[in-house]
Amino acid sequence: MEDRRIGVFICYCGGNISDYVEVEKVRAAVENEPGVVLAKTQMFACSDAAQDEMISDIKEKGLDGIVVASCSPKLHLYTFRAMSLRAGLNPFRYTQSNIREQCSWAHRDGGPFATEKAIRIVRAGIARARLSEPLATMRIETTPKVLVLGAGVAGLMASLTLADIGLPVFLVEKEPEVGGWTCKWGGMFPQGNGSDLVEGLLKKVKQREDITLFTRAEIIERTGSVGDFTAKIRVADGSVVSLEVGAIIVATGFDTYRPAEGEFGYGREGVWTLPEVKEWLAGNEGPLAVDGRPVESVAYIYCVGSRQPKDSELERPNLYCSRYCCSSALHTALQIHERNPEVHQFHLYRDMRSYGKYELLYEEASRKGSMFFRFENDAPPEILAESRRHIVRAKGQLEGDEVLDIPADLVVLVTGMVPRQNDALINVLKLPVGTDGFFNEIHPKLRPVETVMDGVFIVGASQGPKTLAESVASSLAGVSKSAALLKKGYVDLDPYIAMVNAERCVWCGKCLEACPYGAIEKSVLEGKEIASVIPSLCKGGGACVPVCPEDAIELKGYTSEEITAAIDALIEQVAAPVP
Amino acid sequence: MARVNTDFIDEVRRSDGFDATACMHCGQCTAICPMGLDLLPRRLFFYVGAGLEDKVIENLETIFSCLLCRLCEENCPRDVHIAEDVRFLRNYINRKVHKLARI
Amino acid sequence: MPLPIAPLLGFLSDNLTKRRSVMPMSSRKTTRWAAGLDIPAGGETVLYTGLMYQIIPALTSSEKTMSLVQDSWVGQLLSFGRTVNRFVNLTSFMPPADRQEQKRYDQYLRNIVQLLRKAGVTEFGYLYGSELYTGALVRDLGVDDAFEQHARKVHKMLDRQGVRRVITVDPHTTDMLRNVYPKLVPGYNLEVKSYLEVLRESEARPKNRLESEAVIHDSCLYARYLDTVEQPRRLLEKAGVTARDPEFSGKMTFCCGGPVESLFPDKAGEIAGRRIKQLAEAGNDVVTMCPICLHNLEKAASGNGVSVRDISELLLQAYGG
Ligand code: SF4
Ligand code: SF4
Ligand code: SF4
Repeated sequence: MEDRRIGVFICYCGGNISDYVEVEKVRAAVENEPGVVLAKTQMFACSDAAQDEMISDIKEKGLDGIVVASCSPKLHLYTFRAMSLRAGLNPFRYTQSNIREQCSWAHRDGGPFATEKAIRIVRAGIARARLSEPLATMRIETTPKVLVLGAGVAGLMASLTLADIGLPVFLVEKEPEVGGWTCKWGGMFPQGNGSDLVEGLLKKVKQREDITLFTRAEIIERTGSVGDFTAKIRVADGSVVSLEVGAIIVATGFDTYRPAEGEFGYGREGVWTLPEVKEWLAGNEGPLAVDGRPVESVAYIYCVGSRQPKDSELERPNLYCSRYCCSSALHTALQIHERNPEVHQFHLYRDMRSYGKYELLYEEASRKGSMFFRFENDAPPEILAESRRHIVRAKGQLEGDEVLDIPADLVVLVTGMVPRQNDALINVLKLPVGTDGFFNEIHPKLRPVETVMDGVFIVGASQGPKTLAESVASSLAGVSKSAALLKKGYVDLDPYIAMVNAERCVWCGKCLEACPYGAIEKSVLEGKEIASVIPSLCKGGGACVPVCPEDAIELKGYTSEEITAAIDALIEQVAAPVP
Repeated sequence: MARVNTDFIDEVRRSDGFDATACMHCGQCTAICPMGLDLLPRRLFFYVGAGLEDKVIENLETIFSCLLCRLCEENCPRDVHIAEDVRFLRNYINRKVHKLARI
Repeated sequence: MPLPIAPLLGFLSDNLTKRRSVMPMSSRKTTRWAAGLDIPAGGETVLYTGLMYQIIPALTSSEKTMSLVQDSWVGQLLSFGRTVNRFVNLTSFMPPADRQEQKRYDQYLRNIVQLLRKAGVTEFGYLYGSELYTGALVRDLGVDDAFEQHARKVHKMLDRQGVRRVITVDPHTTDMLRNVYPKLVPGYNLEVKSYLEVLRESEARPKNRLESEAVIHDSCLYARYLDTVEQPRRLLEKAGVTARDPEFSGKMTFCCGGPVESLFPDKAGEIAGRRIKQLAEAGNDVVTMCPICLHNLEKAASGNGVSVRDISELLLQAYGG
């Protein structure tokens, strides 16, 4: 083994680690490991001061590898890589040993075991660091164009904004018309009308030469990777076009919950979902009548299809709140109050979540005479028939035991949002889907529109229920992430990709079958057929490594030698901790 | 079982003496009422809002027991003019039940 | 047996419409307090008693009648009584008010006049026999027709007398004249202040420092209808009286029970009892500023070792000199 100069930095994490792990003992146990020239402890390794200290240690001691024993690399991998770079150390010669999530937090019951385990984990890190090699990131040139899927308001706004930034857009819509639900739902809060809004956006889109709109079109295939995708689109006439883009924005929206036949009387004349009522209101100007009968009384039942109890008999209950429906129902009630102030309106709700500015809708509706009764989830209202009217029987939770029979000409089921059934799309894009059926982001707070598929962004209600305003905000977030990616002109990819040992490889093709990304191809080297790796497609997933019968394929940064050395160090006996 | 009577709601709505539209039935008023009037005003406003005229009349004595002291109003998060609303209902009862309309 | 509400309401409102007061009394009795004070008759600014301090002692006796009514067959007679009452003043058959009581309540009004004069407020008259009760009780009970009719009568009288500014002595009258009448009576334009506000605005200087303590019972009306919380406290403070606040005080004051006295004397007594307990926990010397509070709390305090006084008495000791 060559002579290495490794520095080890062990973090207290302000007690997160040191409350359960005797950090100083860990330091003492590893300072004499082969190759280690420096072992230190730090209160917060990620703090600026600690990083500065590491940088001067690296420089002064001429370190050629470091181990930071702290939290999960998910948190600070990039922090310490950047620090290494600043210190002039190849960032791939830094190894992070996780002694927090994988040790101190897992052993809060105390005992010397945590310390012993931490020693083993750090030793394993040192063993890997000894074998670490300097690697270089791979640079890929990006295609400065974006594919936007879905031409609802979110998709339209994303396209226009991308075009403003100077990124040409292909906008693909499955339906013959653009505008999604917004188009059909009439009046909006605080002002305006959905179809006017969409019309305005569409006009602008059509004026832009850098936006190509395809309607009645669908994505059927996607190849390539971040910055350099090829998408095949089946367009209206059945032909297929192939598009080169650097990023993909998914703005495919939501579906509305469709109650089962008989659910709260659904299926009877005048028992309609909120979207149905909105379309009905938007499409008729005259006096409000259902089935020829004037509407004198309206009852709303909230949370239909949302916030379903965990223990319900449904196969996959919708546990989430759909966010928009309380406000939207209030808005509808105000429209009805406006159209006919004589109408009585009764709202049977579980919680009134008219958050933010939408609270004004609640205020105004109650001032206009809307009555609000809260019901408990285990005693939902019942809908009974009475001649040509409906009777909504409800037990108001806040008003004692009174059971009310509310006569209603129109019963509005305030239905929420559900994910669109779109298996083909999920398949083509390999999009991650959450337990609720909506697409999943990487980090709910910090990376809300990114997915594990680099370069594929999820925006609007495809990611989860949102109001229109929130959808647009999210779509603009997708735009800024796309632009941040594409405006630079290139992406740097981690060098952790597969490499083929040409001497050993006999080209059996097993690795080609195993790779989900199509990153293996056959090539010829000095007359010999071997497998070779396409660097821009390889994700470093390693599916090829164990299937190779000749052990001819390895992952950079995760070679068999490195992993074996780490395992050996992990199982090596630790001397009984010195009291 | 009580049936919502929209005529009663209309009658109250037409007058401008009664306004409990902001009431959210939270019960802060009831909690502090010196009379310990469980009915007032939380339930009372519910009865009126739901058009349960019979219930209102059934509770005539409670309605006339209110001190109009407004301690409840001080506690009400929605600034409902509770005492004035109670007074309105007294007047309603006086006209409807006590037939004191014109003397 | 619950009190027969309807006949009682009828009885009270009949009294108001026919005899201009819920508790008709001769003007000899209602103006007697002013004897010897040489208050000019009428004027642009008047001290308006609203008859509240005068009616209260009479109430004590009528309450006896009411409790009787509540508990017995007399109640049955009341509806009959209402018919008769329209023609014959039934109130005059009630037991006469206690002389001592009357004198004591008259004295509070005299205190107020003296306090005003000591504070340099001398330019005010009194309407003597023309003064009318405001009708507050009838309005509280929701007999709006009778009340509105009466309010117009009161306004007409004030108008005829050329009154522009009114100094009131109790919160109920203040609320009626300041908050309620303007909404009902077209052309109503009177400046209304309670004597506590007037004193507070004046440069009244105490002649004696009392160096004592008093527990303040805020009236619901002063505190929550009229925003008069700070004035009595400052006046007492200046006079060297440390104001003690009971558990419920200021904006969060607790009712004396008085408002339901006419219909549910038992309930009123119970509330007053609870209030006295709260007050007693803060001290034994209680001051009130409304004749209804005073009357109710006094009753509840008897035998409790708590003394209840009208604030005018205490203020006069300090500012009277
Ligand atoms: S927004 Fe309102 S109606 Fe919709 S699911 Fe949430 S609580 Fe229920
Ligand atoms: S405190 Fe106000 S809002 Fe709450 S129940 Fe009473 S009146 Fe209604
Ligand atoms: S005003 Fe009536 S309801 Fe309100 S606290 Fe006083 S007695 Fe109770």
